[in-house]
Amino acid sequence: MPMSARAKLGFALALLLLLAANTARALEPITVTLEFQPDLADGRYSYDICARCHLPEAWGNDDGTYPQLAGQHVNVLMKQLLDIRSGRRSNPAMQPFVQQRTIGGYQDLANVVAYISTLPMNPRHAKGPWPPGSPEHAEGEAVYATYCQSCHGAGGEGDNTRAYPRLQGQHYSYMARQARLARDNLRRVDASMSALFTAVSATDFDRALNYISHLPLPAADVAPGVDWRNPDFQ
Amino acid sequence: MSGGKGVKRNGISRRGFLKSGGATLAGGAIGIGAAGTAVASSESSPPAIARLLRKATLPAASGARVVVVGGGWSGLTLAKYLKRFNPDFDVVLIDRQSAFVSFPVSNAWLADQVDLDFLSHSFFDAANNHGYRFMAATVLGFDRDSRRVFTEQGYVDYDYLVLAPGIEYDYPRIGVDDPEAQELLFHRYPGGFVTSSELLTIKRKIHRFRGGTFVLTVPSGDYRCAAAPYERACMVAAVFRRRRVRAKILLLDMNSDIVIKREGFARAFDELYGDSIEYLPSSEISALDVDARRIETDFDEYEFDDAIIYPPVRASRLIEEAGIHNPEDPQKAPDTDPFRYHLRNDEHVYVAGDSRAQPFSKGGHTAHSEAQYVAEVIAAHARGREIAWRSPQTMCFSAVDIEPLRAMSIITYYKYDSTTGLFAFDRTHLIDRWDTQGGQASLAWAEGMYRDLFYG
Repeated sequence: MPMSARAKLGFALALLLLLAANTARALEPITVTLEFQPDLADGRYSYDICARCHLPEAWGNDDGTYPQLAGQHVNVLMKQLLDIRSGRRSNPAMQPFVQQRTIGGYQDLANVVAYISTLPMNPRHAKGPWPPGSPEHAEGEAVYATYCQSCHGAGGEGDNTRAYPRLQGQHYSYMARQARLARDNLRRVDASMSALFTAVSATDFDRALNYISHLPLPAADVAPGVDWRNPDFQ
Repeated sequence: MSGGKGVKRNGISRRGFLKSGGATLAGGAIGIGAAGTAVASSESSPPAIARLLRKATLPAASGARVVVVGGGWSGLTLAKYLKRFNPDFDVVLIDRQSAFVSFPVSNAWLADQVDLDFLSHSFFDAANNHGYRFMAATVLGFDRDSRRVFTEQGYVDYDYLVLAPGIEYDYPRIGVDDPEAQELLFHRYPGGFVTSSELLTIKRKIHRFRGGTFVLTVPSGDYRCAAAPYERACMVAAVFRRRRVRAKILLLDMNSDIVIKREGFARAFDELYGDSIEYLPSSEISALDVDARRIETDFDEYEFDDAIIYPPVRASRLIEEAGIHNPEDPQKAPDTDPFRYHLRNDEHVYVAGDSRAQPFSKGGHTAHSEAQYVAEVIAAHARGREIAWRSPQTMCFSAVDIEPLRAMSIITYYKYDSTTGLFAFDRTHLIDRWDTQGGQASLAWAEGMYRDLFYG
């Protein structure tokens, strides 16, 4: 049955409103990072509270219980902090740490994300089981090219201006766990991501994560060795 | 008698396990039926016995039933994450208490830095919010052949049984062998690490102390919450300072030195409480006279006006009574697979939390991170899969001063050394200077944990 003109108009309006709401939400981290000049020394001070769990290097864990934060885009970090603060991203254990009473206001958040983004990355993050040259790796590359690359970039570098995470260097185990949570509706992700869980099978998705975990990191962004320790905390 | 004699299994008779679990069963009033079902004699058994032998009031299991024994940090985390990792599980959490009071952060509460509401939470909320069932009952024992747990509210059948019953005090290790003397010591000078009444008693003690000698002890062995006795000495000293009570705090440490955050605590004792805390290492306690208020160590003797006696600990008696303990282990921990947490000969019975056999630090955060892994192991087992071992994480905040609350922190991981067959500490990050940021972080940490266990 064809839609009436009025219904069409209503549908279009609803869609527009939804988009506007989504854009406003998506823009909050970017607005914050643009409006507050970060102070790295203050960021180091605020990071002290984070380092009690995330450790001074912010490198995350091989087992995927903590992500690599070092070198991540400021807008991505800001979006996660604000999402966890508001409860939009469920993380009960971390939630109290990102409240104003604990970490501070927008200025403090801007400082701390700027600080984290400057940290050199873990030179030995956890990689998926299929190395380059394996058929599974090649399958992952194809999935990545079709579904992921347009937002996350050819090298998995992400996009700061649109708050798309940098994936290169992220622990395979962490990405796999987040993908599982999102697929089971236990982690809310934005519409373009959640659509992928319908379009791409769990196996193909996993192949893509494996491919991502083997992407090279720019040498300049990586710490000189696994024994490197953040001198700010020595 | 309708059944007959107790059947010997796993080194303990069925009659034995029912008798030993804390309930006093009238001799001969209970028998075991041929099918393994316990039945009460109709003529001689008091009604209480019949209650033990009926099925507990629970709806029929909606899927594989997982019974979690113990609603501490381990059991609460297990119940939540078992349901999360396998929504088809029918999860039942059993605890003998009807409400939860947090031991982590209770030292800050002793010094009025948080109120009791901050520490107190309802098992009902946890169960309602996370889709499992809570049963307030005392577990008396279990039978692994029929996969049945016995409580004073009746029995519950399980597909998986997860034991997280925690610790008990081991008074014989400080020379107090007589059960009556142990009971008296426990009530007069509780350690504050097992039941919430102990905490309330301790708080009244320190807020009413009129001056004199106040003794605190640090046990040896793998005791619960390594930093807590030192932190508590600081909090007690801070309260006495605020109340302007002239008191000497004797901190009798059964270890040869401060076992954790050594420099930070040593500095606190010296800089903040130099006039009140006297730290006495290598104070192995050999005898304790409750009425005379006298403690004997290997080298000295101390009289006290009041005390908090924290003796060495052992795994919950439930483990030993079920015959699943390792007889070589002085703490009577279970004989389990160190990576999978199940009994070596039974993949349907798991032990986690502070009664575990692994030498990980005993405490809330470790139990919480470990339990998420164990829940995943069990969920995977039910699907015929295995997951990779991962280390628990130990995170521990210690308050050293109040007004404002100032704290230190440490985080550590464990690694398994396949050549020695032992676990060792892995990466550690210690912040042993105390500051208000640490104080704030400690409260944020606790709040986050309560959110995860009860609400989020």
